[in-house]
Amino acid sequence: MNLFRSEEHVARWLGDRTPGETIPIVQLAALAQAWWGDRLAPDWQPHTRAQNQAILDSVGLVSPFWQLPAI
Amino acid sequence: MDVALRNLTYRRFVELGRAPLPEELGDRAEVLAGWRALHDAHALVLDGDALRMAAPFSAVPTPHRVHAGGRWWHANCGWDAFGILAALHCDGEIATICPDCRAALVLVVRRHQPSDPSLVFHCLVPARQWWADIVFT
Repeated sequence: MNLFRSEEHVARWLGDRTPGETIPIVQLAALAQAWWGDRLAPDWQPHTRAQNQAILDSVGLVSPFWQLPAI
Repeated sequence: MDVALRNLTYRRFVELGRAPLPEELGDRAEVLAGWRALHDAHALVLDGDALRMAAPFSAVPTPHRVHAGGRWWHANCGWDAFGILAALHCDGEIATICPDCRAALVLVVRRHQPSDPSLVFHCLVPARQWWADIVFT
């Protein structure tokens, strides 16, 4: 899970490997805010799978690649 | 899951600016037993008896560094670099490298917005496999 200068740099880095998914950094920032924002809350409770999937969905990550495993 | 131990671990991590030792949180054996259960529940990641990740924070040096709250932190990945700022609820700076060209990438993040929106993030591993090998992920 890395930051890259551009999609061209991702493609070169991947070479022959199967690519994952590339998203704009602004979308990543929104995802991180929703995913990690409560991590230091004094009353933190674990997220359920449904909560985490809802976060991914909320920032537009809805393809099968972003589907969390059933628990 | 011992949520109280998990929350204490995270609080001390931020207070210390590093991963706490088990004996800094209580009885060493009891804390290690609690940490192992938290590891199994994916609430943190151990390497032997030591913390490896209290995501988004890394207990070991990584190429993903974050300046926030007056100190430098290590993140586990590019996503977690933004996650540290989100968890701390503050602006900051992210310093990492492009894995392709090895160029330094330095971002200022204010109010959740990166200073260079042209960069991209690549996630190699599908979400369903993230925890098969979380260190690789």
